[in-house]
Amino acid sequence: MGLKLTRGAFAHPGTSLRYHTGSWRMERPVHVHRPAPCHSVCPAGEDAQAWLGLVAEERYREAWETIVAANPLPAVTGRVCHHPCEQACNRGHYDEPIAIHHVERWLGDQAIASGWDYPAAAVAHDAPAVAVIGGGPAGCSAAWQLTCLGYRVDLFEALPVAGGLLRSALPPYRLPRDILDAELERLLASGIAFRPAQRLGRDFSLDELKTEYAAVFMAPGTQRSRDWDVDGATPHDLHIGLDLLKRWVDIGSIPSWSSAAIIGGGNTAIDLARVLRHCGVETVHVVTHQSLPHAGVEQPDTMPAIAREIEQAMEEGVIFHEHRGVQRLVLRGEQVTGLELVHRKQLRETDNTLRHVSFEGTESLLHVDQVIPAIGQTVDPAGLASLLDQRDYLLASEHGRISGHPGLYAGGDACGRHGSVSAAIGDGRRAALAIARDLQRQADPDSRPADPVTPAQLNMNYFEPRPRQHAPVLPVAERSGEAEVIGGLTPQQAAQESQRCLSCGNCLACDNCWTLCPDVAVLKTRRPAEDGSHYVFDYDFCKGCGLCARECPTAYIMMEAEP
Amino acid sequence: MGDSPDQMNYRHLRHAQPRFSGLESGHRACQGCGEALGARLVTEAAGPDVVYANATGCLEVFTTAWPDSSWRVPWIHSLFENAPAVAAGMEAALKARGKATRVISMGGDGSTFDIGFQALSGMLERGHNVLHVCFDNEAYMNTGVQRSSSTPHAAATTTSPSGKERMGKRHLKKDIVSIVAAHHIPYAATSSVAYPSDIRKKVRRALAIDGPTFLHIHTPCPLGWGHDGALSIEVARLAVQTGLFPIIELERGRLAGSMPIRTVRPVTDYLQLQTRFRHLFADDDRAREELEHLQALADHNIEIYNLRGTQADSRDSEGADTVRRGGMRWA
Repeated sequence: MGLKLTRGAFAHPGTSLRYHTGSWRMERPVHVHRPAPCHSVCPAGEDAQAWLGLVAEERYREAWETIVAANPLPAVTGRVCHHPCEQACNRGHYDEPIAIHHVERWLGDQAIASGWDYPAAAVAHDAPAVAVIGGGPAGCSAAWQLTCLGYRVDLFEALPVAGGLLRSALPPYRLPRDILDAELERLLASGIAFRPAQRLGRDFSLDELKTEYAAVFMAPGTQRSRDWDVDGATPHDLHIGLDLLKRWVDIGSIPSWSSAAIIGGGNTAIDLARVLRHCGVETVHVVTHQSLPHAGVEQPDTMPAIAREIEQAMEEGVIFHEHRGVQRLVLRGEQVTGLELVHRKQLRETDNTLRHVSFEGTESLLHVDQVIPAIGQTVDPAGLASLLDQRDYLLASEHGRISGHPGLYAGGDACGRHGSVSAAIGDGRRAALAIARDLQRQADPDSRPADPVTPAQLNMNYFEPRPRQHAPVLPVAERSGEAEVIGGLTPQQAAQESQRCLSCGNCLACDNCWTLCPDVAVLKTRRPAEDGSHYVFDYDFCKGCGLCARECPTAYIMMEAEP
Repeated sequence: MGDSPDQMNYRHLRHAQPRFSGLESGHRACQGCGEALGARLVTEAAGPDVVYANATGCLEVFTTAWPDSSWRVPWIHSLFENAPAVAAGMEAALKARGKATRVISMGGDGSTFDIGFQALSGMLERGHNVLHVCFDNEAYMNTGVQRSSSTPHAAATTTSPSGKERMGKRHLKKDIVSIVAAHHIPYAATSSVAYPSDIRKKVRRALAIDGPTFLHIHTPCPLGWGHDGALSIEVARLAVQTGLFPIIELERGRLAGSMPIRTVRPVTDYLQLQTRFRHLFADDDRAREELEHLQALADHNIEIYNLRGTQADSRDSEGADTVRRGGMRWA
């Protein structure tokens, strides 16, 4: 054969490489990036798995930039979001879910402390201009995304400062104002033209904007309280929950009652209840026809408020009455002295509608000085009457489009769909992308999202139990309403928490496939391969046994039929 | 025949892999072969300065289809029964020439437990500086799945079928590691392809010792055991997690270490994945008895080797199977 003998006379190495066992294959392994459940459920559209991976690799700034590509306010959402990502986290089926919101908050704080600039390129002078109405989370999100997409943006805000409900109604113990200021200041410096104290219907009209701008995104929020009465009766000194809360946030004072009952099960009701307690109101009741959240039990009528806030309110002495309705106001003159409560539930009818049912014989009396409804808000029709058409909310599509009004888009609380900060941020992003597509005359992508990775698809043999990191919580006695109740993680804790991430559906470069292939058909690459992993399959030799797919801990390798 | 750029890139990449492998692609092992993986892991851990003597068996056949060789290390095959003797001769010759090159003899369970047992015993007794590695797939797979003295109790092979008379193999699996350790050698250990870092650790530990050493590696055979090739690691892992294949180390005949089982699984989890145990799941009193028998054997192993992990902490399994972002644990 003319082979030159090697030193020591051993056979020429690797000669079986001329025999390509790849022809035996019926199925081939491929790398498939699929969404992790945290990504699928995030209302703001964050890919937590992606940025947790970067945190684990100590690439903090890249991690932060990955978050802000979807959500420009991580230090805010890390504090106030109800984090559905953690309920969905696959690690919850193993030990405890990753503390995603804590790591997000830590990254956001890191960005503030280090003064990281928002990564947006300068916008061209002659780029099309888009108007954004409302400087709350939805408006800020849309303005940021449009800036990133290369549009000039004018952000109109009725108040002198941006922030929307984050500033006017979120108590500082949940969201310290220096954090909010630092976040918004840097965001607005990224190239957005901020136009404060410009109120729709007073300082400008929608028609003016439509002629001056290529598109208009509306996120005015819900500024008008719903009417409330019990069989036509209202106390003469009725205070609305959100107004009280806003007043307290603004000027720091609240009437001093000795007892109060708040009607409603949302975040406003809980925030107000806690503020009342902090301000010295002895007895604070929350009355709701919905049910308290019970860990692990998914109930359709659970209160929409964030579970941890409810828990902290209980710690602070707020008394909850679940599944109760107000049957009658007990008035002396026009002064409330009590409420007649009754057990009340929403029952589903055969035609799938919900009906409130009060159960006779369960009436009871609650003595209170004050009753405060916190039952939700509607859109202020000033300047929007033609779009509202008698409705409480703006009717917008999933992408924020308003049918019959090309060039007009809406999102956030004003659309009445979900009512959370993260959902508003998601609305803003989706609408911005839709605006860009419409202006460039592109069709919407086929957006059926891929199914997220399920716990059964992961190979949990390669992970070991590791407890979740906990942030410090302010003792009840020290909670004043100002000081932040939940503390942040230490850098060590944030790093440890990021390392707990299972990396569902994405390569974490663990070397399993490279090490376990009996046919040496997985090769490790020096730099990340095209698909972002560190490995390639050598199909000349891969026999298609499927062992790598089976042993991939993160379900990143799938077997597909040989083409 | 021209190569595509991809093929050229891959060939280049293959030669630039960040760790040495003594076994190369293109060998003719079945899909999901546990023995091919075991051999690969051993050569990776042992490094390039090693010579190998290989007994007859699957490994010898599928790596050296004439005129190809998949070995990137000096390798010799002589007979079924004499690999340890060949290795002993090579070791003596290297020693006489003052070389530090290490010698490994390899064989399957057929050559180690049965056919080459006296050569192995002689090599151990004479104190040669040789590591013998047994790739245990629990039957004569190369010739068509005949029982060996390593075939576990109640497993069906072509020469121990299940039927009216018997529920698979009547006899027990030979306790080879204890027999080998009884030669009073410095180091004898068991391992499994489900725990590559354990194999690496033990190969290196054995090669660092001056004197005869023995490593017994459990390597599933998809063809002979009757499971999908994709399940080879899963099956091997379950053999360990049920207690049927204990991972232990013996030094001078005394137990020196064992891999604790984090969560002990019932033997049926392991058995039901393999058609060689299919008859044990029939509606039959004998089958039920044999299942209990195998469970008792597993419980016995767990007891005598103290395999039950105390709690679900990271020291169980010595972190052998835990992934780390960015690899490095199996470097």
